[in-house]
Amino acid sequence: MSPPVTTYWRLAGMSYLQYVNKAASTMRGALKEPAKTKAMAQEAFQYNTSVWSGGVQGAKTPVTSMGAAGK
Amino acid sequence: MAPTLMAARRVAPRAFGTATQQVRGMATEKQIFNQINATKNIQKITSSMKMVSAAKLKGDETRLTKAIPFNQWSFALCPEPVEVEDATCPYDDLPQKSLLVPFTSDKGLCGGINSFISRATRECVKKLHAAGKEADVVVIGDKGRGQMRRFVPDQIVRSATEVVAPGTFSLASALAAELMAAGAMEYDAVVLIYNSYVNAAVYKQKYKIVPPFVFEGESEVSLSTYDFDSDKDEAMADLYEFMLASQIFHSFMDGAAAEQSSRMTAMENASKNAGEMIDSLTLRGLANNHNRVW
Repeated sequence: MSPPVTTYWRLAGMSYLQYVNKAASTMRGALKEPAKTKAMAQEAFQYNTSVWSGGVQGAKTPVTSMGAAGK
Repeated sequence: MAPTLMAARRVAPRAFGTATQQVRGMATEKQIFNQINATKNIQKITSSMKMVSAAKLKGDETRLTKAIPFNQWSFALCPEPVEVEDATCPYDDLPQKSLLVPFTSDKGLCGGINSFISRATRECVKKLHAAGKEADVVVIGDKGRGQMRRFVPDQIVRSATEVVAPGTFSLASALAAELMAAGAMEYDAVVLIYNSYVNAAVYKQKYKIVPPFVFEGESEVSLSTYDFDSDKDEAMADLYEFMLASQIFHSFMDGAAAEQSSRMTAMENASKNAGEMIDSLTLRGLANNHNRVW
């Protein structure tokens, strides 16, 4: 049997970190209440990002999920 | 002149007190009283801020003690963190093209913690340029953003502000994704500059070099002694991403604990200073009162 050429999540256009976080999120989602709410709160985060060019700050974009990070 | 003034003041201290005493450069009783009250209010705020950060420090310390073993593996692939020794730090172990990542916060009132990081980054850029090397900056935290914009505006490629603490691995992953988007793979190393917590009274500035893996070439190829199930290049790119996230996670926790401890110390000092001020104002008020009565 030959090894797989690439991973299925890469084919879906995910990065490794997106995949890892998605897996963690799914795992947390499988918990029962009240542990679920507590665990789900752990993955929430928020920050604003902006790209700079030539010493000038670009527009701020709020980031709240892995999918939106690094855009 | 003097006896009449004394008599006048005794008759109507409120009416004359202001004029005569301001000539002598003294505050009136009322002014001193107000100032004492204002200082007392500030002292209440600073001492409660101190209590809050002391409580939060406990949480930050716990998170840090968990983050250290979590990130320990990455030091098998990266050099150990190096302490920044103020202006004398040579930064000569940095490669030709580095991506500097200063970790600062959005909040003030925590001593010089953010300024130390900004200053270290500025020195680092200056020294790298002097050595004919390149450096770009991805700044984390609004305080650092403001300072870096003044120091090295042209080097900034990306910024992340209003980063909400406490950090989690999800947050670290997102920040790592930001670095990847800033082209982390095209640099010879990502350098994380952060505050390292030693104990509640001491923190140090450190930098961590996270070099990318070497895929091919004359020099030593990373992890050459290992066999890979899947495609090696892909696996190593993934591992690099994960290593970056892990290192960011650790640096963020370290910085958060240092910031909280620094805030605690700053607020403690502020409360102490306010207390001293209240004492001296009270004394002055008493002396004033004494002069007026006698």
